[in-house]
Amino acid sequence: MGLMLRRTFLTVAAALAAPSLAETRIEETDALGRVVRLPGPPRRIVTIFSSNAEIVAALGLADRVVGVDAFTRYPQELAEKPKVGGRLGFSIDAIVAVRPDLVILTPARQAAQQLLDPLDRLGIPAMTLLARSVAETLFNIRLVGRVTGETARGELVASALQERIDRLPRLARRPSVALVAGVVGNGLVIVARPGTYTTDALTLAGARLALEPVTPQVSQEALVAADPDLLLFAGSQDGLDALLRQPGWEILRAAREKRVVAVSRAEFLIPGPRTVDGVEKLALRLEELFQR
Amino acid sequence: MKIRPVLIAAAGLGLALVFACCAGHDWASPGEVLRAIGGDNSLESRLLVTWRLPRALAAALVGALLGLSGAIFQGVFRNPLAEPYLLGSSGGAAIGATVALLAPIPMPSGLSLAVFSFAGAWGATWLVLAAASVGTRLDTSGLLLAGVAVAAVLGAARSFLMLALSDDATNLQVALSWTLGGIQTPGPTGLAVLAAITAAMVVLALTLSRGLDLTTLGDEAARSGGMAPERFSRIAILIAAATVAAAVAWGGLVAFVGLIAPHVARWLAGGSHARLLPTSACVGAIIVAVCDGLARSVLPPAEIPLGLITALAGGPFFLLLLRRRGRQMV
Repeated sequence: MGLMLRRTFLTVAAALAAPSLAETRIEETDALGRVVRLPGPPRRIVTIFSSNAEIVAALGLADRVVGVDAFTRYPQELAEKPKVGGRLGFSIDAIVAVRPDLVILTPARQAAQQLLDPLDRLGIPAMTLLARSVAETLFNIRLVGRVTGETARGELVASALQERIDRLPRLARRPSVALVAGVVGNGLVIVARPGTYTTDALTLAGARLALEPVTPQVSQEALVAADPDLLLFAGSQDGLDALLRQPGWEILRAAREKRVVAVSRAEFLIPGPRTVDGVEKLALRLEELFQR
Repeated sequence: MKIRPVLIAAAGLGLALVFACCAGHDWASPGEVLRAIGGDNSLESRLLVTWRLPRALAAALVGALLGLSGAIFQGVFRNPLAEPYLLGSSGGAAIGATVALLAPIPMPSGLSLAVFSFAGAWGATWLVLAAASVGTRLDTSGLLLAGVAVAAVLGAARSFLMLALSDDATNLQVALSWTLGGIQTPGPTGLAVLAAITAAMVVLALTLSRGLDLTTLGDEAARSGGMAPERFSRIAILIAAATVAAAVAWGGLVAFVGLIAPHVARWLAGGSHARLLPTSACVGAIIVAVCDGLARSVLPPAEIPLGLITALAGGPFFLLLLRRRGRQMV
């Protein structure tokens, strides 16, 4: 009897340990509504754009990445992987050379245009991710978790980030901010627009946009007219100091009252897990400047 | 009809196609290409057969269309500086492509791009012809000026559309890169359609060859040869514009080829349009197939926009030919 019980237990254990092929097959719908099918968890992943590389790394799967694009600079171990494209576009030849079993990309720049059709023809699964809000990034983390066969880890990482967002301080009044992401040659300023990932992160931190332009380029005059309570600069402190030394910036009330803060470009412009770090830091700063 | 120049051009095209199939991020040997075509099922071979080969063929066909239309335009205008984008085709095609790439259209993107850019290119030339026609008269300088004006209006409209329609997902780079030229790799059906269009255009163009020969001699000579020059010009322009529209639908705006291919062809085959037109198509095919190969292989893993290569490589090559020709004439 004892032997039979042991045999039954071993059979059940073996069945659990080695699920059938049908059970390991993965099928998910991506951001463009394409059905992505994989015969099993991918072992050789190519990521296009830093945000996707960071999501894969956050799931602890950096060792499965076999190719990245030239925009990926973090984490260091991924930045050193073979490059499959960059500023001048993406190469299907370079992707085939690293023999991936999954390509994760965002339909930005020319990535989808150049890669989806050839990948489909070659039968290499490709999954597109869009990140128009922080919530969508958390969704992407869970989705990448499921597609890579790491559902539990995806859930864990995403819910930990969600808990941190839920614990953010709430301000009595949302200060108005303008986030300057760059200055173009003709003096126009690139600012965060409504409906973008960056603006969603600013909103989560407790701010609201001082101006809501249709195009991302606005004049300094428009910025002065919008009169933000706080001026944010996506870049280094040195970059912000240099900007404020330019003529015209002293007119801005936020500059005169020294309410100017430099935020990390990686945290606010790359839709990855690090954004929550940026949101937390900015939320504390806003509390410091406007609550007390 | 002297057959030698056409044979030389055809042999050159064969070599160009072999080069284009071998060129890429990882260069393939001609043997590897043959093995891939023979049915070797490795991933690299499938890449060669399903992606690189159709792309090389599409590049050659786009080049043939550009060479052909350039030869017709230069013949009609009796002007060696005439080029396929002269009468607003480029501006029209670019605006069509911008709408197809950036606006939400319920059509597969490959199809909408081809249809919209074709309609834009051909539509713009119709507009130029209509603007420059006074009664039944067709004034050449009026045509060229109307072409400049229409191109300016369309260029501005396109820039506005690019700024207004682009967002994070469908952004400016895609539309911008299209205007710098780049071959769309067709599937088997697309490739067959492109080949059929190219063959049809070559046949149509050949029916124009006698008229183009007469036009070269001037309007009076054309009339005495029993031809109505203005009616002929209008038909020839519309055929050439449809040819260039087909080229932009598959290749975007590829600079310089339509201008230099007819010149090279003229040096090879002489001025008779029956030989000049197919030779120019062949030369155009060689230039674009080789330049597309270079675009894919010189800066791996990046791909340089094709139009930049054709202008960067074609410009100095053309100047060199001009100098050599000048020396021979002295």
